Amino acid sequence: MLIKREFETVEMPINVGPQHPSTHGVLRLVMTLDGEQIVKVDPVIGYLHRAVEKLSENLRYQNIPHLFDRLDYVSAFNNEWPLAMAQERLLGLEVPPRGEYLRVILCELNRIASHFLFFGAFGHDAGTATSWMYGFRERERIQRLFEMVSGYRMMHDFVVPGGVREDVPEEFVPALRALLPVLWQGLGDCNNLLTENEVLVTRTRDIGVITGEEAISYGLSGPSLRASGVREDLRLTEPYSVYPDLDFDVVLGQHGDSYDRYWVRMQEVAQSLRIVEQALDRLPGGLVCTPGLPKYPKLLKLPVGETYARAENPRGEFGVYLISTGGDRPYRLKIRAPSFCNLMALPRLMEGHYLADAIMILGSLDVVMGEVDR
Amino acid sequence: MDLLVTLAVLTLQIVLLFNVVMFIVLALVWLERKVLGRVHQRMGPMRVGPHGTLQSLADGIKLLLKEDLAPSSAERFAFLLAPLLVFAPSFLVFVAIPFTRDIVVRNLALGLVYFVAVSSLSTVGMVLAGWSSSNKYALIGAARTAAQLISYEIPLVLVVLSVAMLGGTLDLRGLVESQGQAGPYVLWQPLGALIFIMAALAEVFRPPFDIPVAESEVLGGPMIEYSGMRWGLFFMAEYGNAFAFSALFVLLFLGGWQGPLLPPILWFLLKTSAVILVFFWMRAAMPRLRIDQLMGFAWEVLLPFAFLNLFLTGVVQLYRWPLWSLSLLSLTGLLALGYVVERGRVTWRRSPSLAS
Amino acid sequence: MATFPFAGVLKSLWVTLRTAVRKPVTVQYPTVRVPYAPRMRGFPALIWDDAVGEHFCTGCQVCARYCPTNAIFVTMKNNPLNQTGQSPRRKIVNQFYLDYGRCIQCKICVDVCNFDAIEMSHETEFSEWDKRALIFDVRDLLHMETLANPRTKQVVTRR
Repeated sequence: MLIKREFETVEMPINVGPQHPSTHGVLRLVMTLDGEQIVKVDPVIGYLHRAVEKLSENLRYQNIPHLFDRLDYVSAFNNEWPLAMAQERLLGLEVPPRGEYLRVILCELNRIASHFLFFGAFGHDAGTATSWMYGFRERERIQRLFEMVSGYRMMHDFVVPGGVREDVPEEFVPALRALLPVLWQGLGDCNNLLTENEVLVTRTRDIGVITGEEAISYGLSGPSLRASGVREDLRLTEPYSVYPDLDFDVVLGQHGDSYDRYWVRMQEVAQSLRIVEQALDRLPGGLVCTPGLPKYPKLLKLPVGETYARAENPRGEFGVYLISTGGDRPYRLKIRAPSFCNLMALPRLMEGHYLADAIMILGSLDVVMGEVDR
Repeated sequence: MDLLVTLAVLTLQIVLLFNVVMFIVLALVWLERKVLGRVHQRMGPMRVGPHGTLQSLADGIKLLLKEDLAPSSAERFAFLLAPLLVFAPSFLVFVAIPFTRDIVVRNLALGLVYFVAVSSLSTVGMVLAGWSSSNKYALIGAARTAAQLISYEIPLVLVVLSVAMLGGTLDLRGLVESQGQAGPYVLWQPLGALIFIMAALAEVFRPPFDIPVAESEVLGGPMIEYSGMRWGLFFMAEYGNAFAFSALFVLLFLGGWQGPLLPPILWFLLKTSAVILVFFWMRAAMPRLRIDQLMGFAWEVLLPFAFLNLFLTGVVQLYRWPLWSLSLLSLTGLLALGYVVERGRVTWRRSPSLAS
Repeated sequence: MATFPFAGVLKSLWVTLRTAVRKPVTVQYPTVRVPYAPRMRGFPALIWDDAVGEHFCTGCQVCARYCPTNAIFVTMKNNPLNQTGQSPRRKIVNQFYLDYGRCIQCKICVDVCNFDAIEMSHETEFSEWDKRALIFDVRDLLHMETLANPRTKQVVTRR
């Protein structure tokens, strides 16, 4: 008589803990693994919570951009802009054209810098430390330009309601013009390194696939949504600032997998470089900020009202909901952070995949915990 | 009396060999950091010693001074034994490697078999390390390690066997000398050389096959819970193995120490350094393969082509065809391998989804 | 995309090889430094009025009021030089403590100062063992501005 013994396997709960080289900040994933396959994953967030929304209720409006820089710390200019837009809407301000163009240039440069950081982190998760260095090499060049403009490489505190804080120095425009071909070449290097690399394609094709309708229902936005084929870009669908005058393409993916999310971001760098070139050519002279706004030590007081202003961050739709009851401090400042909403799709994306794929999926979503936890 | 003399001589040889291996390992660590630095357009170590040459020594001293941590729930004896079991094979293979015709510790008649057999003993050490660490990540890493090492052993052995068929001997020195007449075997067996390089990369856990010890996923695999010099032993084993396999490639395919003008030892070192630089270059440029893709690559691609290589060599040897016909057939096999990889990519990338 | 087998891999290998022969983008800090932009924000420094021979700062406490982290402590006193007619300032700074441990280099103190007495320097290297040593007083704050950093030979821009 043959005795058949059944192979008994046990599902193993594992903790991809807050301290992990590739969780892009402090994110904890409680996974249940069956061998190598993920059965269930629970993201646990809150390790970087700094009570930005509550703190803003106690800060004067002139001090809040300083906190907002630290939300999505990778792309600081893009965080300040919706805040300024919300305040402008309540005050009924018109931004002078030079201010608008400068905002566009700086925010698109920051988008490029943020996507280079994504490239670095993504390649690093895949296994090459080289891509980290290439991405940051380009990012450093852009940050040096930012230091020329605002004094800081990362936390700028520069976009204020009415325009930008001060005009760019004279050496900025020639320096930026000289930098653009270097950035094109850097983008070419990065593309040569990873975009067609068969190993990377094998690692990321058909991993973490999500269809367009599902992506919308999960609240995805930004490049992760566009990779699933949904043509949704706030710069086109709800144009703000001078984007209607600028000519650029919205990059769409076809499969909605991790490779497409990576590919869309790399193409967006090229598009952003086009935008910067056009904006630089059209940069008008004149004021950079609406005149007559109270500057420190005079306090900025907003009228009573509430508004929601949103912009296209490198990670998606960044929104600021501002309730003002008069006075120099907001009553409520709610932040709609794109990474927070993108992270909601993580369990759906990861189910059924292997542990190694999970890391690639998380990398392709490009979450920054600063804005997830606020 | 004779016994004592023999023992003394042996001890001296062992100590000398150990020093040579240590020096090689330290030099390789430094070289890798410099090469990787240059590829990243930065400088690598520069401060400790001229151009950072003493950096690896400083790191070694630092490792010696570290606290010896072990998890309280670890199996004490196995935990302590595992690094030694991993390091010893990578040290022992150097016994059989002839650096030149005369510089060799002991030229074994079965040198090739000895090499392959001993180097595969490190599997046991890795699995022991992962199991005894009582850490889930270490366990995952150990399981992957064992699977990878065993899978890539077979194509390696088959390719090595084809070379032995060409050379007619299993003696490493003899194989090099037979290349003196026939020319370096890489010309006659390009397919075999490529398979050997890939299998060697997998045996040594170098990218793109380093997922068992991947830092960004399982945080170092079986070696997570080790600190200080115990971890240093794993590290040295990795670099010692890398050098050993590069040396084997040079001996089997590139003609060993032979070459005009320069002294043989210099040729040997130059050729090995060239192969090692290729290893470093692959690390700089290639992402990692997932474990199932890795295994698929070994069993579905490398193994059939290694058999093909063996078959072609056998046919050429049997019918006494000229050697250039072997290189033609081998090149055809190489192109077929490229084609299969390109086509086969479609099936490996998919990981099964529970939802479907 | 891939034109022939392993094309992408060969591209990766080629780009790494090409980068390896370029000049490194990093410098050996701190022996070699990258020059800072003029607007770069280091820590604040007080400015000395050479024409009169005293601080620009009058101790009006506006900067202390608007500092978001309460890093500044200022007191004022009657200016002896004003009594002798040498200086137009009736009051002058008495004590000025700026805690570099609290300063976030936001430049608000520079923006609100009515007398242009405080400016952001390019100094950022102030590591100390004890955080109380980071509280700079008026002498240090001044000293920072006039002292050319012996390593960098950089002096804060003065007006």
